[in-house]
Amino acid sequence: MELLILNGIVNGLIVGGIYALVGVSLTLLYGVLRVVNFAHGEFVIAGSFFAYVLFTSLNVPPLLALPVAAISFFAAGWGLYYVLIPRLSRSDDPELMSFLMFYGVSITAAALMLLLFEADSRSIDYSFTPISIQVGPIYVSTARLVALAITAVISAGLALFLFRTLPGKALRAAIMNPEAIQIVGVDIVRLSAFAFALATALAGVTGVLVALVFPAFNAFSGTEYTIIAFIVVVLGGLGNPVGALVAGVLFGLAEQMATVFLPQALAQIVGFAILVGTIFLRPSGLFGTSTKK
Amino acid sequence: MMPVSSRPQDSADRIYFTLVALIGGALMIYFALVPVFGLNVAFHFYLMLWITMASAFNVSSGFSGYLPFGYVAFYGIGAFTTAILVKKAAFPVFLALPFSGVAGLVLALLFAPTLRLSGIYFGIVSLALAGICRLVITNMPEEITGGSFGLQLGSRAHPVQSFYVMMAVMVVALATILWLSRSRLGKALRATRDDADAAEMMGINVPRVRLYGWMIAAFFPAVCGGVEAWYTNVVDTETAFNTLITAKTVIYAVAGGLGTVTGPIIGAVAMVWLDELIWRQFPLLNLLILGVATVALVLFLPRGIVGSILRRKPQWRRYVP
Amino acid sequence: MSIAIETRGLTKRFGGLVALDGVDLQAAAGETLGIIGVNGAGKTTLMNCICGLYRPDGGDVFISGERVTGQPPHVVAHKGIGRTFQVPRVFRKMSLIDNLLVPVLDHRASDAELTERAEGMLARMQLIDLRHNYAEELSGGQQKLLEMARMLMPDPPIVMLDEPFAGVHPVLCKFMIERIEEMSGAGKAVLLISHDLTSIYRLSTRVVALNQGKVIAEGGVDDIRGNPAVIEAYLGT
Ligand SMILES: Nc1ncnc2c1ncn2[C@@H]1O[C@H](COP(=O)(O)OP(=O)(O)O)[C@@H](O)[C@H]1O
Ligand SMILES: [Mg+2]
Repeated sequence: MELLILNGIVNGLIVGGIYALVGVSLTLLYGVLRVVNFAHGEFVIAGSFFAYVLFTSLNVPPLLALPVAAISFFAAGWGLYYVLIPRLSRSDDPELMSFLMFYGVSITAAALMLLLFEADSRSIDYSFTPISIQVGPIYVSTARLVALAITAVISAGLALFLFRTLPGKALRAAIMNPEAIQIVGVDIVRLSAFAFALATALAGVTGVLVALVFPAFNAFSGTEYTIIAFIVVVLGGLGNPVGALVAGVLFGLAEQMATVFLPQALAQIVGFAILVGTIFLRPSGLFGTSTKK
Repeated sequence: MMPVSSRPQDSADRIYFTLVALIGGALMIYFALVPVFGLNVAFHFYLMLWITMASAFNVSSGFSGYLPFGYVAFYGIGAFTTAILVKKAAFPVFLALPFSGVAGLVLALLFAPTLRLSGIYFGIVSLALAGICRLVITNMPEEITGGSFGLQLGSRAHPVQSFYVMMAVMVVALATILWLSRSRLGKALRATRDDADAAEMMGINVPRVRLYGWMIAAFFPAVCGGVEAWYTNVVDTETAFNTLITAKTVIYAVAGGLGTVTGPIIGAVAMVWLDELIWRQFPLLNLLILGVATVALVLFLPRGIVGSILRRKPQWRRYVP
Repeated sequence: MSIAIETRGLTKRFGGLVALDGVDLQAAAGETLGIIGVNGAGKTTLMNCICGLYRPDGGDVFISGERVTGQPPHVVAHKGIGRTFQVPRVFRKMSLIDNLLVPVLDHRASDAELTERAEGMLARMQLIDLRHNYAEELSGGQQKLLEMARMLMPDPPIVMLDEPFAGVHPVLCKFMIERIEEMSGAGKAVLLISHDLTSIYRLSTRVVALNQGKVIAEGGVDDIRGNPAVIEAYLGT
């Protein structure tokens, strides 16, 4: 039993790290642009397929795929921003329309991956040596530990970026007060494009890690990650990057512990229930002030 | 006696009801004759289903201002209600179908607290609740829901009968929405959509009005699910709770234009026809084109077909149902 | 004269901020009560507490002697109170006629009768030619007139106007002043909020001055005009 719990904690941290990254990128995007990216999960899975292709056709190991994915997804996000967002903000009801549009983007992305890779589940047949490492009394796969280390590094980097650099501070300022930041003379369009690109890059990188940590993925896995991202973002408080990081880890832990103690199906329902419950009971998230909206 | 000033209103009403009669009559005659002339029953069955789904969705989105991304939950519950009653309780189909509608209403009541939420929160919660519904049904004992194989309704399929039942459902749905669009409830819903607080201070019982709208929006997809289960003779959680059902409903309604009665009809007709065309030519591209079409619609035709026309010609608003 | 509306010790806090602090006021039928105070004095909050949008933290609201504190806004509205908003809140995607029908949807009268009444009201507000337009297509000043018409549709004995003259050009201002005079002339109790003193002094029978949520002065126009506390609140600090 204790071993199971210990296992649950270690896996919870690993999975939670990934959830934290999925959530933090979505929350950055929401914070700056006030749009909810329904396609976020698909972007993540696109990152997994990206690593898959690099590995199977060019023999690039996943660790090397990370920076390549970061750069490619950043560029793709930057381009996508200018295709999608400027027109959107001119519409009657930008909020409603943004839901619809990203819904369409998510269908498009899933369909593209389906066309390219068919519906079968894929996995990257790459292993580290040694395959697993002993942590206290339990064995953990090296790939998962590496992924954990990488999520920790990325999270720390992101926090440093947001709190110590000028563009990072501008992003946070834009989240808190989008009008004021324009008055101060920041080019909000460029900043938004940057936020979109950054979020997309993070999604892509997270996808590579997903391919390392989880046994398989397919064209339709995206929805799962979108939902997880929603859960994390809502738990952490909409537009609160630090909240999302913490909430991601907490949710990962909760989910892995739930799979220890509950049947699989119930564990899944727990996730949805946490989401619904949080929105009703603490709409500003676990760490927000209790005022509504 | 009516004063002179109300004459223009009368003549506008005349045009309006003439249009209603023309569009409604044409739709009904056309669909009624489909099996008679041996046209493609399956295609037209689904066309009517999507017209109904998109129109009912319009009550939630166009009239009430909610975007339920878990709309499929009502459809799925309806499908399983009919299937379980027919298969496990040996109900005749005609008796089972009303229970599908009731199941939709019950689910709507269960979800009623979500109407307090707005915008993104409502959308996300709706999606999550649909996920919960799917998981609950998937994990119910196999004797009830048939587990992952789903339920076969047996030899009770009767395509032409179910076609006409679908048609009846569509007609009732459109009549209801036509009534709603002119009724006081409809005005209260629209006012609530535009500014809930202001509407409440004008004496509108906002929670109640929203609940009524929500129940209308939930009833019809549930019945649709039941009829479709009967038509295809099989239900399983993968198809009955498929998010693509929500996607298509939303897209068809938006394509035509939310907020008018004709919008979702025209949107569904145009898009189902387009879908069929594309499906025949490039079966693999179907999903991709659906996605791209959605993005394109939002970017280039955000008010939908009917909405864009009325934007250009505001004076037509009074004449177009 | 009978008291149409009364508040007793009305108090409202937002976190640490006391927006209303034991406000007592009364207005009788046919009376225009001016409520003045600088920005942030608590005037709009007072109105929101009266009509049930905010739940007060203390004190009570009475309409025609009946306690309505804590009732939801639609219930309070049916007691016979109508209002306008500082920033117009029209039903944007509804025609002007439909905007006017909203407050009378549960009236017994037939649709035709109500429509006719709405058209009469729009004619009075000089909006009749636009009756089939969407409300969002009106100018800001026209939206204020539409709000006034909408407020008057159920013929409420009490009306509250929140800064009706803010951002309105002088011609329209004069037109609105005449409409407000008609309202009190018809025996309605009018609560008129403004931070602009000239129009208030012209229309009001009595004036209440608010500052930081407290009533600092109350009385006839002349009492208020020379009141040192009011002058200090407007000029001082
Ligand atoms: N919903 C609210 N939440 C927090 N503070 C509020 C809210 N409404 C008003 N306030 C505060 O209450 C005070 C009074 O505001 P208000 O009644 O709008 O003033 P006035 O209408 O006299 O200009 C202000 O300090 C304002 O910031
Ligand atoms: Mg104010």
